[in-house]
Amino acid sequence: MGANWEIGQLKLSLPLVVSMAFSSLKIRLSRTLLTVLTIATSTAFLIYVLTLEKSGDQTETENWYLMMALCLLVAAAGVLNTMLMSVTQRYREIGTMKCLGALDSFVLYSVLFESALVGLAGSAVGVVLGLAVSLLLGVLEFGGEVFSRMSFDWIALKLLGTFLVGMLLTTLGAAVPAWIAARMPPMEAMRGEK
Amino acid sequence: MATAPSHALLDDFSGQTDLTVMTRNVFKEYRMGEETIHALRDVSVTIATGEYISIMGPSGSGKTTLFNVIGGLLKPTSGNVFIDEVDVAQLDANELAWLRCRKIGYIFQSYNIIKVMSALENVTLPMLFAGVPPDEAQDRAVDILRRVGLGDRILHTPKELSGGQQQRVAIARAFANRPAIILADEPTANLDLKTGEEIIHLMKEMNREQGVTVICSTHDHKMLDISDRIIWMQDGAVKRIARRDEVEIQIDVLQEQHH
Repeated sequence: MGANWEIGQLKLSLPLVVSMAFSSLKIRLSRTLLTVLTIATSTAFLIYVLTLEKSGDQTETENWYLMMALCLLVAAAGVLNTMLMSVTQRYREIGTMKCLGALDSFVLYSVLFESALVGLAGSAVGVVLGLAVSLLLGVLEFGGEVFSRMSFDWIALKLLGTFLVGMLLTTLGAAVPAWIAARMPPMEAMRGEK
Repeated sequence: MATAPSHALLDDFSGQTDLTVMTRNVFKEYRMGEETIHALRDVSVTIATGEYISIMGPSGSGKTTLFNVIGGLLKPTSGNVFIDEVDVAQLDANELAWLRCRKIGYIFQSYNIIKVMSALENVTLPMLFAGVPPDEAQDRAVDILRRVGLGDRILHTPKELSGGQQQRVAIARAFANRPAIILADEPTANLDLKTGEEIIHLMKEMNREQGVTVICSTHDHKMLDISDRIIWMQDGAVKRIARRDEVEIQIDVLQEQHH
């Protein structure tokens, strides 16, 4: 007797990861938008505080930094919560997919990519929003002078930094849920209807 | 792949060449606080390629555990499970995923159609996991959905389908990668009698057409009629294995025992 097949290996399909992440976001659209908003407000706040730094008062900026750190922490917790919910709601679905041959890495990357997209959107919106508010307040206080005294390199650097912080925040918040989802036993699919 | 179904009784398996599943002295124990639960006690069964096997027994008899052990979803505490000649315990995570993807098709009691996907997407998914190009996967999915009688509903989502139709999608999905084994966990338990019977016959037809080994846990006595062999489980052990023709004469007695 002999097996007329050899055990093979499955390859991770990145296009499939991407389409899975997109469809998951689309299905839970309202929650997705809410998370985007959370990230956007905290990155906007970060930009605002960073530009404040330029305009001066030392002790005041220190207080702002503390608030900013708290704000970022809250945003990360928000992402953690959303992704955890998204994952636990899909327990059976993920278990079923594993029975169909989904790799742990497929589940892991799908969840991570899903939150990276949220981070991307949130950070982009936040950066633009934060800069707009800063400029508006600057113009109200100093008039058109703001534009002439502004260093574009400096602003670009802050924008990039803030954007990266936003992305990092989201990815950190999603890391634990993604890991939980990836480690979920396929047997979970066998559980009866809730 | 050997195609001719063998109806031989394989308790003496020496010399038999077309085995699909073999468990040897499988034990499975769970710890539940102070207690040890013996879910499987010394289970040795041998199943030939193309056989249609029903596993019967009251809930808690170890059916589902045996099922999960054969399907590579659960590691036995001791003993071996072979799929063809491959010892499942030797496989790493990726190889197990490959086995689940390519060699085993699962059918669940509660269908487990992925809610947010259409029938077509559900059937396409295992093929995409297997690395089949998307266009080819879709064509094949359409063919299989036609085969199970859902040709006019391929774009429907689960909530637009009845239980029986969802189970047809599940059958199409299970057969998508042309597996060697179909593991069906009480596939008719959530269906009415007539629909259940249709599903049973569909599974039998697919079993015959494709020479796939079907292992099906069930409470459904109609299932006995189309099974090649029936395995009864009790308290985690195999109580009896019988061919269908040996069973028919005593079906009344059995029904009494299991109701």
